[in-house]
Amino acid sequence: MSGYILPIIFIAIFCYSKLKKVNTYDTFVKGAKKSIPLVIDIFPYIATIMIAVALLRASGATEILATIFSPLFKLLGIPKELIELVLLRPFTGSGSYALLDDVFTQYGADSYISRCASVILGCSETIFYVTTVYTSQTKVKKLLYAIPIALVASVFGSVIACLICKVI
Amino acid sequence: MNRIWFVMVVLSICLLLFNDPSGMLSTMIDASGEAFSLAIELCAVYAVWLGILELVDASGLSEKLAKLLRPLIRWMFKIKDEEAEKMIALNMSANMLGLGNAATPMGINAMKKLDDKSGVANHAVIMLIVLNSTSIQLLPSTVIGLRASAGSQSPADIILPTLIATICTCVIGVSLTKLANHLHGKYLIKKQNKKNIKS
Repeated sequence: MSGYILPIIFIAIFCYSKLKKVNTYDTFVKGAKKSIPLVIDIFPYIATIMIAVALLRASGATEILATIFSPLFKLLGIPKELIELVLLRPFTGSGSYALLDDVFTQYGADSYISRCASVILGCSETIFYVTTVYTSQTKVKKLLYAIPIALVASVFGSVIACLICKVI
Repeated sequence: MNRIWFVMVVLSICLLLFNDPSGMLSTMIDASGEAFSLAIELCAVYAVWLGILELVDASGLSEKLAKLLRPLIRWMFKIKDEEAEKMIALNMSANMLGLGNAATPMGINAMKKLDDKSGVANHAVIMLIVLNSTSIQLLPSTVIGLRASAGSQSPADIILPTLIATICTCVIGVSLTKLANHLHGKYLIKKQNKKNIKS
């Protein structure tokens, strides 16, 4: 079912543009042309954050952080098997999906831990990645309370995720 | 961001000094290589989405969508910039469809319009960051796909819990931002008053 949504939206967009007498070919080219400069602009930001994440994982710092944070997570009701996932999620999308896959193979895809992990990934975002990439084209240097709020909301989301998985 | 990055990198390299000092450089270069392949992939993805975006914009569809979401956007962002509203409306729609990569170029465009060049994030910029960090996802398709390939009996049964959790996260994020904006405004007024008294 969900596979049909996107093609239908695209057909609607193309037909509506034609109806409004927009030159679809020229317009699409004009838009696609902006892709390369955009990627050139954001590449250094992606690389910088991915280097930091790779160092963090290679050095074993994530495990040390996991031990430090474990009492807090216990208090919040998040299983300790998922601490690394919750800690890395704000930094890396592909990395956290790889971790999710590890959880599946280790605990079985239908276990409580795996369902928790799935819901946590589904309700959270790569906060630091989003922040760096989105502000990369602006002059914004001071973000005030943006990141703390996003983090607090995400942690609450994870707590709610674990609670719901216990009930359902 | 500067501080967080500094702590992450210095802490990690210090630890690597004990674990695996010779592996540091290759780890960094590998990561940067990964970022490069991601960038090439993104370039392809953005070409498609920016093409579609241009069509949506030229045909006036984005204006229609913005009109539909205008009350919500004005309430959340407190802005009156029609161009920014259009981009935010498209960004929100793409996020809800689970198209994070399509949402990014639109979000960047919106951010450029919202930035007041003062160097400090204003309320609208913060709201857009929080909204994109806690965005509502109607369909977690990647997770469902991973579950299916890991041999789950019913890979889709996480849809409802995810929906509840993602709505909670988003509501918490938006309310906290509104509250923080209110408190920050009060703090600034206080500071201003103190300055006035002194002078």
